[in-house]
Amino acid sequence: MKCKRCGELAAVKLPSHHAGFCPSCFEGFFKKQVETAVRRHGMIGRDEKVLVAVSGGKDSLALMRVLTDLGHVVEGLHVHLGIPDSSDPVAERTRAFCAANGLTLHVLHTAEHGLAVPDVKDAVRRPVCAVCGKIKRHYFNRFAYENGFAALATGHNLDDETARLFANVLRWDPAYLGTQGPTLPGEGKFVRKIKPLYRLTEFETAAYCFLKGIDHWKAACPYSGGASFTGHKKLIADLEDRSPGQKTAFYEAFLAQGRPHFAGASRGEGQDTLYACAQCGFPSSGEVCGVCRVREQVAAHKARREAV
Amino acid sequence: MITVTIDGKNQPTTYPKIKTVLQLLNNLHLRVNDALIIRDGELLTPDRHLWPGDHVTVRMVVSRG
Ligand code: SF4
Ligand SMILES: [Zn+2]
Ligand SMILES: [Zn+2]
Repeated sequence: MKCKRCGELAAVKLPSHHAGFCPSCFEGFFKKQVETAVRRHGMIGRDEKVLVAVSGGKDSLALMRVLTDLGHVVEGLHVHLGIPDSSDPVAERTRAFCAANGLTLHVLHTAEHGLAVPDVKDAVRRPVCAVCGKIKRHYFNRFAYENGFAALATGHNLDDETARLFANVLRWDPAYLGTQGPTLPGEGKFVRKIKPLYRLTEFETAAYCFLKGIDHWKAACPYSGGASFTGHKKLIADLEDRSPGQKTAFYEAFLAQGRPHFAGASRGEGQDTLYACAQCGFPSSGEVCGVCRVREQVAAHKARREAV
Repeated sequence: MITVTIDGKNQPTTYPKIKTVLQLLNNLHLRVNDALIIRDGELLTPDRHLWPGDHVTVRMVVSRG
């Protein structure tokens, strides 16, 4: 198979684009997709600084790389969760990768904020991943807001987005459908959330990482119950296999035709009005935000244990 | 005979009869965009030939949570 652009030997076949690309034209294609996403969805304005949420997985590192190559001012934040045998090596390898690639990385330790995830796991009754996700989102947003970043970028790709959309459609969840998309505008102390890789598949991101030498695999978190939406992703992959291009069509048509109908949908009784959390000042639907409440629970749980 | 290592698994498997990347994908029940197929540091498209003595790495692209 030959490269669609230059006629050299192709390295990557993309049925959804009816194309094959050699390594250098593939990189061009990849950058172009990100550029299009950024432009069409007003993700990054002139001279705006972007914070990338760096999990340590390859997608977030690819995102930092490509945004930097496109000339954007980008810094990364990695949230260290304090999980033994997992958080240290992930943070260390992420730091080494960024140092070697001239990328600026900040590391925030949740333990320093009274929220080491193992303590959280002991203190709360809910599944730890739900709470951990909330904590990470809180600190990513807060760090971005407090340090003058206009936008927070995450490494979600087309497969993540279509699987989530499919899940939201199965439940016809109006509040989620009204806000799902590549850009969520900032408001008050919420910075703009952007997903610059949303036009690229997991395969394309993996190929980009391979070709750019981003050979970085996140060790699975010991608390992980497996990747989310695996079943939905498989269904959609089967559909895509039978008619290439379906995934993009489903998502883009939703943005153009579906989402407007759900704009402004209520989250439910008492959930729509946001107040400033009495403790941290960040938006909350109650007097104290979810993260500050968890911090109190962790402290109370520790105090109880020490009293015994 | 070609030798295939699937990322994350320790034991390589050998295939005596496989001649193309597509045949390998089919044999592993993989779709074209499910995995990267790597030989000597190079990515291979499904139409590429595989030769006796080749060592191929299959890297699944689905993120693991
Ligand atoms: S898998 Fe680990 S890192 Fe991910 S949300 Fe759950 S506890 Fe947090
Ligand atoms: Zn080319
Ligand atoms: Zn708070």
